[in-house]
Amino acid sequence: MSVLEMREVTRTFGDVPALRGVTLAVGRGELLAVMGPSGSGKSTLLNLAGGLDRPTSGSVSVEGADLASVRDLAALRRGGIGYVFQDLNLIPSLTAAENVMLPRELDGVRAGRAREEAEAALREVGADEVAGRFPGELSGGQRQRVAIARALVGERCLLLADEPTGALDTATGDDILRLLRERCDAGAAVLLVTHEPRYAAWADRVVYLRDGRVADSTAEALESAR
Amino acid sequence: MSIRHGLLALLSGGPRYGYQLRVEFEASTGATWPLNIGQVYTTLSRLERDGLVAPGGADDQGRTLYAITEAGREELATWFATPVGQTDRPRDELVIKIAMAVAAADVDVAGVILAQRMATMRTLQELTRAKRGVADGAAQRLVLDSMIFKAEAEQRWLDHCEAVLKERKA
Ligand SMILES: Nc1ncnc2c1ncn2[C@@H]1O[C@H](COP(=O)(O)OP(=O)(O)OP(=O)(O)O)[C@@H](O)[C@H]1O
Ligand SMILES: [Mg+2]
Repeated sequence: MSVLEMREVTRTFGDVPALRGVTLAVGRGELLAVMGPSGSGKSTLLNLAGGLDRPTSGSVSVEGADLASVRDLAALRRGGIGYVFQDLNLIPSLTAAENVMLPRELDGVRAGRAREEAEAALREVGADEVAGRFPGELSGGQRQRVAIARALVGERCLLLADEPTGALDTATGDDILRLLRERCDAGAAVLLVTHEPRYAAWADRVVYLRDGRVADSTAEALESAR
Repeated sequence: MSIRHGLLALLSGGPRYGYQLRVEFEASTGATWPLNIGQVYTTLSRLERDGLVAPGGADDQGRTLYAITEAGREELATWFATPVGQTDRPRDELVIKIAMAVAAADVDVAGVILAQRMATMRTLQELTRAKRGVADGAAQRLVLDSMIFKAEAEQRWLDHCEAVLKERKA
């Protein structure tokens, strides 16, 4: 069974068709990269996959649950889905460590354990030395790493990352992709939006969006990789 | 570049025999540049003729060891100090193909671009898989990175072609 399944998904904002019938699936252990020009619908796709937005038509399901019929979407998001937002969305009044702890605390994990997990996640992305600082006191690349740590913390079956390497140099970007890849190998499904071919190349399959439609995908490469 | 300078660089780390040079050359270029043993010996004899290496006895199995000479070290230093020129690159077939596709009538340029992009992406995926397999060996990794950057530049250029052509049509 696929972790994420989108069927004939459309999303229209007023009279702007952002997505026009996208069908795709991401399985356990699979890394799917989505590329495409600015405005082609990449972030819209990710928001729908994470249940942050609802499709105009079509269906989205995560681990077999149709998001249209899930009552507590927030709980589903917190529990199973890690999200790295294009604009990061760190809470300015919380330190880096507290930002990473937050989703776990909301899950009901007690503070001590949430802190340990947050520290481990920050260490994984190489941001442990900034754990005590506020987002306003971090460089762009450091903020990005903290946002990635927040998405990785806990048991995620689905990781959604919108340009997670935007503010990173290429060696650090490679480290982040290696991390996402390891999560895949441990059984997670990862959907990565990037406009940088070098990072897309870490994926099992690359999908090109153009004007809200899948223009092409490297599906064959997946078969040969398996 | 030359195999010459590659061999001199390896010999600057100490005397080596022919087969060893071949193995180390391939390892440090990430096996992207296969050498046959004949090339190694031909190059060594030219280096010897030019006074850049000298045969320095044999190892315990009777294989001839070669050592870099003082002149060889100078030659190597000059090579490292000289930037590589852009002028003598071969003409790029892809660039010519896209240019011709735009110039010719009745060619689906977007289709040509898309097909190329998928092919280049597959190459990038293969290179990345190879890079993931490199456990330690900075030289190998950096050679693969270089190929990745080149393939990426091609992808970006294709994106650019697509955007420019779309603008012109609109
Ligand atoms: N909330 C919204 N209200 C109105 N229009 C929207 C909204 N969100 C997205 N759009 C429009 O939908 C289209 C797709 O936007 P989206 O953010 O998905 O693009 P993108 O591929 O992520 O682009 P980028 O690479 O610039 O991040 C755009 O035309 C955008 O203006
Ligand atoms: Mg976006």
